[in-house]
Amino acid sequence: MGYPHPTHPKETPVLSRHFGDSDARSFDGWKRRGGYASLEKALGMSREQVTEEVKTSGLRGRGGAGFPCGLKWTFMPKQRTQPHYLCVNADESEPGTFKDREIMRWTPHAVIEGAAIAAYAIQAEQTYVYIRGEFTEAIAIMQQALDEAYIKGVLGINAMGKGVRIDMTIHRGAGAYICGEETALMNSIEGKRGNPRIRPPFPAASGLFGCPTTINNVETLAAVPPIIEQGGAWYRAICLSNPNSTGTKLFSVCGTVRSPGTYEVAMGFPLKDLVHDLAGGMRPGRRLKAVIPGGSSVPILTADEAEATLLDYEGCVARGTMLGSGGVIVMDDSVDMVYQIMRLARFYAHESCAQCTQCREGTAWTTKILQRILHGQGKLEDLDLLLDLSEQMTGTTICVLSDSCAAPVVSGIRKFRDEFEAYIDSGRAVAQV
Amino acid sequence: MVASAVELRLRNSRRDTANQFVSAEAVTSWRRIYNSRAKAQYFLARGFALDRDSTYYFFLTMITLSIDGRAVTVPNGATILDAARGLAIDVPTLCWYPRLPVVGSCRLCLVSVAGAPKLMAACAAQAEEGMAVETETPAAVANRRSVLGLLLERYPTDRLAPDGQDVAVGAAGFDGGGPNEFERLLRRYAVPLRPERHHELALRTGDERPGDPMIRHDMSTCILCTRCVRACADLQVVGVLDVAQRGERAEIVVGGDGDPDHAACTWCGECVRVCPTGAIHEVLPPRRFPKERVAAPERAVRSVCPYCGVGCQVDLHVRENAVVRVTSPWIEEDTPNSGSTCVKGRFGYDFPQHRDRLRAPLIRRGWVKRRDRWRYEGPAAERRRGPWLSIDDEGERPKPRPPERAVGKPLASLSHIPRGPDDVRDRVATPASWYEPFREATWDEAMELVSQELSRIRRERGPDALAVFCSAKCTNEENYVLQRMFRAGFNTNNVDHCTRLCHSSSVAAMQRALNTSAASGSMREVEEVSDVIFVAGANVTEAHPVFGAAVKRAQRRGAKLIVADTRRIELAQRADIHLHLLPGTDVALFNAMLWHIITRDLHDRAFIAGRTHGFDAVRAAVEPYTLQRAQTITGVPAADIAQAAELFARGPRSSTLWAMGLTQHAAGTDIVASLLNLILATGMIGRWGAAMIPIRGQNNVQGASDVGAIPMFYTDYQSVADPAVRRRFATAWRVPEESLSLTPGLRVTEVVAEGSPVRGMYIFGENPIISDPDVAHAEHWFQALEFLAVQDLFLTETARLADVVLPGASYAEKDGTFVNTERRIQRVRKACEPPGEARGDLEILIELSNRAGLPAPFADPREVMEEIAAVTPSWAGVTYERLDMAGLQYPVPDRESGGAAFLFADRFPTGDGRGTMVPVEYLPPSELPNDQYPFMMNTGRQLYHWHTGTMTRRAKGLDAREPVPTVELNPADAAELGVFDGDPVRLVSRRNAILIAARISDRVQRRQLFLPFHFREAAANLLTNPALDPYAKIPEFKCCAVRVEGAA
Ligand SMILES: Cc1cc2nc3c(=O)[nH]c(=O)nc-3n(C[C@H](O)[C@H](O)[C@H](O)COP(=O)(O)O)c2cc1C
Repeated sequence: MGYPHPTHPKETPVLSRHFGDSDARSFDGWKRRGGYASLEKALGMSREQVTEEVKTSGLRGRGGAGFPCGLKWTFMPKQRTQPHYLCVNADESEPGTFKDREIMRWTPHAVIEGAAIAAYAIQAEQTYVYIRGEFTEAIAIMQQALDEAYIKGVLGINAMGKGVRIDMTIHRGAGAYICGEETALMNSIEGKRGNPRIRPPFPAASGLFGCPTTINNVETLAAVPPIIEQGGAWYRAICLSNPNSTGTKLFSVCGTVRSPGTYEVAMGFPLKDLVHDLAGGMRPGRRLKAVIPGGSSVPILTADEAEATLLDYEGCVARGTMLGSGGVIVMDDSVDMVYQIMRLARFYAHESCAQCTQCREGTAWTTKILQRILHGQGKLEDLDLLLDLSEQMTGTTICVLSDSCAAPVVSGIRKFRDEFEAYIDSGRAVAQV
Repeated sequence: MVASAVELRLRNSRRDTANQFVSAEAVTSWRRIYNSRAKAQYFLARGFALDRDSTYYFFLTMITLSIDGRAVTVPNGATILDAARGLAIDVPTLCWYPRLPVVGSCRLCLVSVAGAPKLMAACAAQAEEGMAVETETPAAVANRRSVLGLLLERYPTDRLAPDGQDVAVGAAGFDGGGPNEFERLLRRYAVPLRPERHHELALRTGDERPGDPMIRHDMSTCILCTRCVRACADLQVVGVLDVAQRGERAEIVVGGDGDPDHAACTWCGECVRVCPTGAIHEVLPPRRFPKERVAAPERAVRSVCPYCGVGCQVDLHVRENAVVRVTSPWIEEDTPNSGSTCVKGRFGYDFPQHRDRLRAPLIRRGWVKRRDRWRYEGPAAERRRGPWLSIDDEGERPKPRPPERAVGKPLASLSHIPRGPDDVRDRVATPASWYEPFREATWDEAMELVSQELSRIRRERGPDALAVFCSAKCTNEENYVLQRMFRAGFNTNNVDHCTRLCHSSSVAAMQRALNTSAASGSMREVEEVSDVIFVAGANVTEAHPVFGAAVKRAQRRGAKLIVADTRRIELAQRADIHLHLLPGTDVALFNAMLWHIITRDLHDRAFIAGRTHGFDAVRAAVEPYTLQRAQTITGVPAADIAQAAELFARGPRSSTLWAMGLTQHAAGTDIVASLLNLILATGMIGRWGAAMIPIRGQNNVQGASDVGAIPMFYTDYQSVADPAVRRRFATAWRVPEESLSLTPGLRVTEVVAEGSPVRGMYIFGENPIISDPDVAHAEHWFQALEFLAVQDLFLTETARLADVVLPGASYAEKDGTFVNTERRIQRVRKACEPPGEARGDLEILIELSNRAGLPAPFADPREVMEEIAAVTPSWAGVTYERLDMAGLQYPVPDRESGGAAFLFADRFPTGDGRGTMVPVEYLPPSELPNDQYPFMMNTGRQLYHWHTGTMTRRAKGLDAREPVPTVELNPADAAELGVFDGDPVRLVSRRNAILIAARISDRVQRRQLFLPFHFREAAANLLTNPALDPYAKIPEFKCCAVRVEGAA
């Protein structure tokens, strides 16, 4: 539900059904709501059965890439010759995305339970929950829940009395977006500079401390307990359009809508309904101009495209964008696209880890050019230069941060070229810069 | 036995073990790029699937792929770049560098792979069976131009080498001439400079090193390849440099606060070597080495570093008869140093051009020639004195305060050292007054006088009234000719050199136990294979820094490190177990370790039974050394001793390294013997990975001993007392048998002693006035000689006492060979001519020999080596041709032999092939602290100086780092004495006293001191105890009781 708004009839609350209910935060409250039954059930199943159930559900990674979750778990070695690790990616720093924060704030035990099930399935005795450092409230809530879980014997060397070791530690980030990238996250936990690592080796072969590791997003893991409880088939059935995109998804809607918030809908939900019904639509007199549907890293949709988009992995791709993290940024006709795109580029320039040449120099240069255009000092060739730079920045680097910077720039220039040209032609500058 | 087969294979493949790693069809392509050095490590670090027999690794599977249409077979696990290099296809790289961890971040080496959606990084992507790679597709080239273009956007245009200038200037990065590595790539891909948009991004910044004496930064040309960061962290295992900030502001920083000292920089210059743009570059003394000269050397000569015993190969860049720069060999070349150097090797090369160099022979005034004979007619009292302060006098003179370390700070902000009249700093190392008693002479005069006087003393007082000190800094050929001259020409065995003062006790103990005098193994096996490394009494990271880095890399790889040291030196701080013992208590420690091993039944019964004698006696001798008793004696917690003992014994491959910390004791031979017992009882010798290495401190101390510069042996440790040996040498030297003495000669410490019969001496490149114990006495002894001739580069503290000084040649001015600490004989090559009238040392010695009546029919060092090979069984297969590249590790018994990386696989070179264990008892040091002298003083080496400082104190960069003598004092003791860092203190021993500045440091324990011996003005050896080891006659340099007085 889009707390603080009441649940909309078109929502399908699964993960968010206890949002706004502070009693669900405590261990006992969680138990009363049926919590930890899934973990108990999972610990009674074989590891393969648990993984199989998640595979059946069709659950895909909610961190951005959408990789099938069950399949990812099967990459972990069957024989445990080294320690195995699970990392919970709670570094949510993508502009416009705030769904993991809500999950941790309201249902911390859902995260712990899901992580514990995953840890069991992949034979990880140690789990690190990497939480974005600025989420002080979420960290405090998660820490308290974790302490309780230990006290109640849910975690520890004999989790739930089932003779399985499941340990969990919270690791706070220190203000770097890039540390949400899975290999940078592992470097960060190891105490190193948060630079993404070159792959292969993939984390399942050599991840944290060189040992087999699985990284999952908070939302992905929070969806695991309901799947175990009610079965993969049940989850799979929650699907409005494409059978490859199943279950529910939290969308954090922000921007120029009347009711920004986190809404949970079934996969395949129409974007226009999300914007106009659930999020309350535009302010009076304003028209929808553009939507970025998946956090700041994906191509921008024009209003027309957005109206026709179905919110699932395939539906977004069909419109030339991606579902990403589910951060829906809505822009009405009062928004200056050039300025917004510059701000996005500036974000990536600031967050580039500076390893790869194209990203380090490309994001910075892109920003400089956009700022120059905003200052009324742009030239028409600059648009070509920007497109050229973006092309150089796409598909050539270790991680996709530089691609993420290029995506809004390219789609922005393609779809809103007139706004760029207006700046260049008039030579006018905006005060905001 | 398996091991012997392995040894055979090792010998055969010493030079290039490429065939160990690749199947026959791929050998050729792999050979071209990888030599044997560090190979297993290289491949293992990259996660190759390697199979392994008892010694070597093999690739499990081979795969075939095609690159630019050409097929190549590589081991499974190789990257595309590896495969391309095998075909000599040049895929451009910036962040990639051999042996550094692959980060794949510059994105320059991306190549097209058929079927792959994106370009792939050749440096990181593994080659796969059937892969079809194209390296220069339009997409790949476009990407490269993009990368280079982006880097060029932030590169200062005014630094670009002028167009048309295409001379590559040796190693990457020097900004003096043609394009650097990065600019060469710009040209290769024709990346256009776009001036109008230039500098839309600001020039890059980074930490600079203003005022640094050796390494400077110009970070505007940095391209953030991070090679320097990885070279520092992963090759040198130091970690001074890192990337700070992110995005466009990312930059290379020095430590946390920009101060390399705080970040423990060792100035090794590895960062300089790997930098592709010269953003990190070396300071070249500008006046003597103008830029153009450095930029375009006439030639580069491969030679061997003149400092410690690691024997690093270096390239000397020569222009106008001067070494203008030193670079290290390419990292993949087969060199004992894998192409690294330390600060001394890279920056300590300017001493040969120092203006103090002697350019003509000197004769003491007072010697005149009358009727064909030289006579001394000067005033008798003046004999061998001069208008200078004796070492003794200098010791108590006030000393300047050490300056703040000149790093990271503008020069102007640093305090200066006031310069006294005969301050050895500032390139004026020899005070003018020292020359006063001398006049310049012709070579003929000087030679005539030397041979006349040596012959006269021999005639009048008998052969044993003569003695010669050979030199551990000079070549094998020179030492051989010199000892040959004294043995056969002057009929005396009084031949020795400074090995006496360093590893003579090791040699005595090893001779007794194993009949050997050198390391059993190689540095390489320690780095690559050993599971446990036991370092006893060796400050490897300062005294042998390149080997020190290898030990640190070994620890990184997973080897366990046990360090026994009285000080908390760098290795001790890194060690898994630091046995922090009290000075001189080593025997108790090693005996207790052995007893613990026996009680835990961890000794190697089979080895003991099959390979050794005397275990029962040793067992009985070590039984009283319980852990508890050892704890009481050594101060090391019993648990640590037990743990170290078990770790060492369990191995499975444990190597043992030791140096002066064990040997320079009055019980030195016993100490080493007890360590050898430990090695033999656990069988930690004679296998690849279980090496016994006494680390040699000087470039050729091993070789000088090998070629007979010691009193009791001819070459190859053949006894002078053995008539059969004598007969062989008499024949070889064409002298009557009786002319060679059967009596072993006097050793250094016996020569320079009260009551020694020696009246005339020849000293070749040694400086006993600084290096002998209790030098005040030694100085008087030398002054009382009838005749003293010294052959050296400078007018040293010893040379100033001479009657005749003969100016010789530095390492850069001669041909010959050095032997390093792992028995590796390597070529030293002449890079330039000696200055002025100075002559090559071999030339001088040959002429003297001829004048002394012993014909030395050698035209050049090559011919000397031929004779050495003829009389030295274990060098019999050595020729200069075979010594090219990495040299040979002797024994090389014949022309077919490729040398031996390790020895004793199935027998020791004793009569019955067995080693002997010798029971030893702990004896306390001969001088213990008491109320009057409450401190125990230790002496030794520092990173920036070497031996008596003759060379390093005349090397500008090195001297700037460590310009004045200091004594390390524990903070608690300093507080008690009221002494602050840099304050003068007075050290008083039973023999003498010196004034010196204090360096407060918790590297020393309480009531202990550490005093470096490199400094004339505070000579450590004024204080040291001349007590001698009964077997080796090595003095007790490491322990003497002193009192510390705050001198305020
Ligand atoms: C630059 C960058 C930032 C990322 N940030 C996050 C993040 O904040 N949270 C997250 O869950 N995944 C983030 N990801 C995605 C992760 O790398 C990874 O795909 C994800 O954690 C896998 O979990 P999942 O399979 O459950 O989605 C980021 C990726 C990139 C390239």
